[in-house]
Amino acid sequence: MSTPRYALECEQLGKAYRVYSQPMKRVVETLSLGRYRGHHEFWALRGVNLQLRPGASLGLCGANGAGKSTLLKVLAGTTAPTEGRYRTNGRVASLLELGAGFHMDFTGRANIVLNGVMMGFSKRDLEQKTPEILEFAELGSHIDEPVRTYSSGMGLRLGFAIAAALDPEVLIIDEVFAVGDMYFQKKCVDRIYQFKKRNKTIVFCSHSLYDLRQFCDEAIWLEHGVTRAQGDSVFATNEYAAFQRKHIGSAEEAARSEHPEVPGLGARARHELPRVVDARIYRLGTDEEVYEIQSGDSIEVRVWWENAHPEENPIQVGIAFMRADMTTCGGQATHFQGVKLAGKQGCLVLQAPRLALLSGQFLVPIVLFDGEGVHKYQEYLMPENLLVRAYTRDIGLFRLDLAFTQRELAPPPPRAEQRVASGA
Amino acid sequence: MTPDPHSAPLSMEGEWISARPARAREVLARLATLPALVARHRDLVTTTLKRDLTSRFQGTLLGWAWPVLQPLFLFAVYYFIFTQLLGQKMPFLPEEQKAGIGVYMFVGMLAWTAIGEALARGTGVIVENGNLIKKLAFPSEILPLNVVLAGLVMMLFSVLAFVLAALFTPIWPAPGMAILWLPLIVLLQGLFTYGLVLGLSTLQVFLRDTQQLVGMVTTVWMLATPIFWVPEAMAKDSAIAANFGLLALNPVYHLVRAWRGALMGDVNLPESEYITGGAAVSSASVPHHLWSFGLWAVGAYVLGYAFFVLAQRRFADEV
Repeated sequence: MSTPRYALECEQLGKAYRVYSQPMKRVVETLSLGRYRGHHEFWALRGVNLQLRPGASLGLCGANGAGKSTLLKVLAGTTAPTEGRYRTNGRVASLLELGAGFHMDFTGRANIVLNGVMMGFSKRDLEQKTPEILEFAELGSHIDEPVRTYSSGMGLRLGFAIAAALDPEVLIIDEVFAVGDMYFQKKCVDRIYQFKKRNKTIVFCSHSLYDLRQFCDEAIWLEHGVTRAQGDSVFATNEYAAFQRKHIGSAEEAARSEHPEVPGLGARARHELPRVVDARIYRLGTDEEVYEIQSGDSIEVRVWWENAHPEENPIQVGIAFMRADMTTCGGQATHFQGVKLAGKQGCLVLQAPRLALLSGQFLVPIVLFDGEGVHKYQEYLMPENLLVRAYTRDIGLFRLDLAFTQRELAPPPPRAEQRVASGA
Repeated sequence: MTPDPHSAPLSMEGEWISARPARAREVLARLATLPALVARHRDLVTTTLKRDLTSRFQGTLLGWAWPVLQPLFLFAVYYFIFTQLLGQKMPFLPEEQKAGIGVYMFVGMLAWTAIGEALARGTGVIVENGNLIKKLAFPSEILPLNVVLAGLVMMLFSVLAFVLAALFTPIWPAPGMAILWLPLIVLLQGLFTYGLVLGLSTLQVFLRDTQQLVGMVTTVWMLATPIFWVPEAMAKDSAIAANFGLLALNPVYHLVRAWRGALMGDVNLPESEYITGGAAVSSASVPHHLWSFGLWAVGAYVLGYAFFVLAQRRFADEV
């Protein structure tokens, strides 16, 4: 057996579910020894190829029912592929669902061992890791209470803490950022980064294209079980976002995907985490608040922020202009320009001279990031939209400096042999 | 010595996992390597077994005294009801075997309970743990194994109760050398029950009617097994007596005979005009019955486990 170069490899992987309309049909099919077919097949996944080197991370995106979870299940080994094959190199731990494998009547502490031995780890190993898990999950005295009494966030914390502490070669996570308060999400993010740094492989799916772009080297956009785009995570998520925008019916979902709603801040977060206090738009250099402008006017966006622990939690701010159809027309972030936000509070001003947006309603999302610009502490949406009026007849998003002119010129020389652009 | 857990992967690392169904050779390999699988996942087996057993007595005042108290109580009930109140039916038994019928029933029941309970609880074990099977990759044969082991452990408590009663009360003489058959009896019974539970729990995944059928069949099966009745004490000219030859086809008949021989020694019923008579309990016949039961046990294990292995890959989709 040659040593696999990849941490994870799939060839033409597919998964079909058999659907029987009546239980009787299954009996007849079995008894007929293959002569009668009582089911129809539903292909949840088909023809997926991928190769992941150790240390690479893969993100899956796509609408609900696109096959993301099916692919994760197959890779985690809980369900067998119907066609194709895959292999993993190294131990695999998975977190496919909140509280999967938890025994509701047993305490959190008992469930650590139970969950771990299910994934094939030894009891001794788990007892060794229990303090680490307890520290990470921060359940306090709840750890000795039945899991039944836990909130979904607590269950997630425990589940993630166990999966992360097992230190597998390959970690498979389904929608990890969906629950949990901001504080814990940040902890998860940090943990996953550590994981990546140690050359471990992560596969996860998320509705947040932003998360996918930040975490993953590669991404796959699945639709109806088939790969629509695969490759660099920016490429794949852009393809998906473009597709979503084209299908305006799903604009709602596009909005959620690119800028996911911030879950209610936990009690702890509310007091200690940095936040945006207010944000307004002014005419550039004046104190005149303005939300209706003409294309080409100069404005500035002022953001008042607070940060109780600037040394511990450095922050970054991103500001964007987003058209009503969720096209992000432009934006900047402090970490892109190397701006530092020092102190416990302040006012950040984004100057936008001669803003050449064409007419339309624009949202101005303001995102408060952690120091690395990865984790979103808060997404502040101003109550007012920016209304831009344009009196010129341009098309597109921006008014570019375009002008026509006519000249008396001789025809150009014939073209050289045309080269066909390939792979465009 | 616990070996390095990292040397014990769930599936073969680096091996391709594909849609190809298991080959006959691979199925046989699985059957033969069950001990290795259990050894590799012994932490999983012991943790879940302990969980299963403790959950039965969790919150009770007497806790772990219950598994011994229950059979002791049962033993007392059988002794008083069947020996003292109804015991007049066997006036020909010698004085020290007066409790014969009560003990006879207790030992038969002790062996049957482990099987009957395992079938009742085990048939649904894959379906009921569907959430685990769908979300975690682990060897699912551990689930039926647990049910069987839990039954065996409870049975051993009953054996303990019997031995205590035999040693410290005058009800029944203490077991003789035949008790040395016990490990083999328990092993074969475990193999037999495990095979049945593997097969039935698999069937239940695809055909949810199985559980209902099993409930009915086990009741009939229990009544058809000489647990509460003594074939040798049946009326001689009864038409039923002619059917006793069929008993040899019932694997559990051989099992309970072996159990009684190992624990009770010998009970001989004299032939009379009313009853057929003969050795109702015989320690000498233990090897014979074990041999017959052993064939059933191995057969049940091979068929049940093979069916399980072939169907296992589809569990997650069906539960």
